[in-house]
Amino acid sequence: MAHLRETSDKALKLLRTLPRVQIGNLRPNPNSKQNDKRGRAQHGGDKHGAGNKGSGQRQNFMRLGYETGNQPFYMRFPYEPYYKGHHMKRQYPPISLLQLQVLIDTNRIDTSQPIDISTLCNSGLLKLKPAELEYGFQLTDDGLDNFKAKINIEVQHASEAVIAAVEKNGGVIRTSYYDPRSLHMLANPQKWFQKGVPIPSRMLPPQDAVDYYTNPKNRGYLANPEEISKERLVLAQKYGYELPKIENDSAYEMLTTTKDPRQIFYGLEPGWLINIVDKTIIKRKLE
Amino acid sequence: MNLCKINGVTRLPVLRSCMQFSSAANTEVQPYEEDEGQENTSYSQPVDKSGLQPQHKNVLLGKSPYQEAHSWIHLTEKYQRQAFGRYGAKSNVNPKICFNSRGETAQTEVMQLETLLKMLEKSRSQKAEELEKINAREDDIAKKMEKLKQWKADLHAKIAKREADAAAAIKRKERLVEEVRRHFGFKVDTRDERFKEMLEQKEKEDKRKQKEAKRKAKEEKMMAKLVEKTSSS
Repeated sequence: MAHLRETSDKALKLLRTLPRVQIGNLRPNPNSKQNDKRGRAQHGGDKHGAGNKGSGQRQNFMRLGYETGNQPFYMRFPYEPYYKGHHMKRQYPPISLLQLQVLIDTNRIDTSQPIDISTLCNSGLLKLKPAELEYGFQLTDDGLDNFKAKINIEVQHASEAVIAAVEKNGGVIRTSYYDPRSLHMLANPQKWFQKGVPIPSRMLPPQDAVDYYTNPKNRGYLANPEEISKERLVLAQKYGYELPKIENDSAYEMLTTTKDPRQIFYGLEPGWLINIVDKTIIKRKLE
Repeated sequence: MNLCKINGVTRLPVLRSCMQFSSAANTEVQPYEEDEGQENTSYSQPVDKSGLQPQHKNVLLGKSPYQEAHSWIHLTEKYQRQAFGRYGAKSNVNPKICFNSRGETAQTEVMQLETLLKMLEKSRSQKAEELEKINAREDDIAKKMEKLKQWKADLHAKIAKREADAAAAIKRKERLVEEVRRHFGFKVDTRDERFKEMLEQKEKEDKRKQKEAKRKAKEEKMMAKLVEKTSSS
């Protein structure tokens, strides 16, 4: 930023020598004064700004954009794929850590239970639209410095700083993938259970998402747990906080609750038929 | 003002209200007694004035709308599963319908397992390929960079040689012209015929001399080589 300092020094030097600001020293704001040029009298009349002879005076101009024969700029590019494939890209609507903290503080979310898409949607304040290619929530770093909740949260994307913030407070964060059908189930579980179909198993991520969810740095649900714990330590060292010991925590069991990669709901396995009215679970007989 | 007619007995509520607010309210008003027998029979059956169809009433009461199938839709798997989902056991649907046949479910799950390993392998190989490409290009460039010095020298030498040859040719021409001029004197023009003939002669002589000189240089080289060989052996 050396050049900025030089210009400011220059400006200060100038100020010392310039005269006092007066009306006579000022210039009007750009585009505030319009040129009162009439097409009559000495300055506006005679050739009316069109010069002498030539195509200019005869108003026979080339069409706009014409570059005297070579391929003009506006014809050089037959196709610019600005939005190619945008309709098929996965979207992850954001939740800031600030929002999350507020939800927790106002008792909209119960921190004594693991948090996932269902929890967030059931709070009533957040909505997921899987039909609009929203593949889950991403946790953003807005409000990262004031985040003070100890939670077991499962989102679909989180940056390194966010992961650090959650783990610093003794929490657990995981990123997991849900296929569109699972997302519909999680976004509105009641509606789905009314279909009377047994819970299906979750699908694996597509090719381009496999790398993200198998990476321990992202706390992916398909990553090796040992490597995840290593990365926890690495992150603690990077961001400069002491790694809290989850083993000694009273809520250890809750914090270490994870879903199987094929599981959609906590505590419910694929293949079970849930009935909300009767509050029953019907399982297939093992033969 | 409602005049309620119940089994022929008419009420006059207006009179009552008047009595309520009249100044002379000290007088006791006799309670309005109806025949008890008639009362029981009139209120025993609750009359459903809702105008709802039976299926809608069932839904309101939390029951499955149709207890018997009224349409082919009620016999479909999808409908019956939904009925079970919404109304539970009350829907009289056997939950067996809700489950798929065993074969179908097993197939899909096995397929997915295979693809995870394949996907990981594919991503790994893709990355390796890209890296290889980059490395190959870098190696290629490194090799070329080694030769760069030599190429530069070669290019300079080539240019220098070309220039030298051109200069030498000009010099030679000048020399020959000078010799011819010396012979003829400055009166004769360079483009004159005689001049040209002399020039040709001189050029030939010069060429012969140069050839001889080259041959001699070659011979000397060969001799030097032979001497070296004999001395070394």
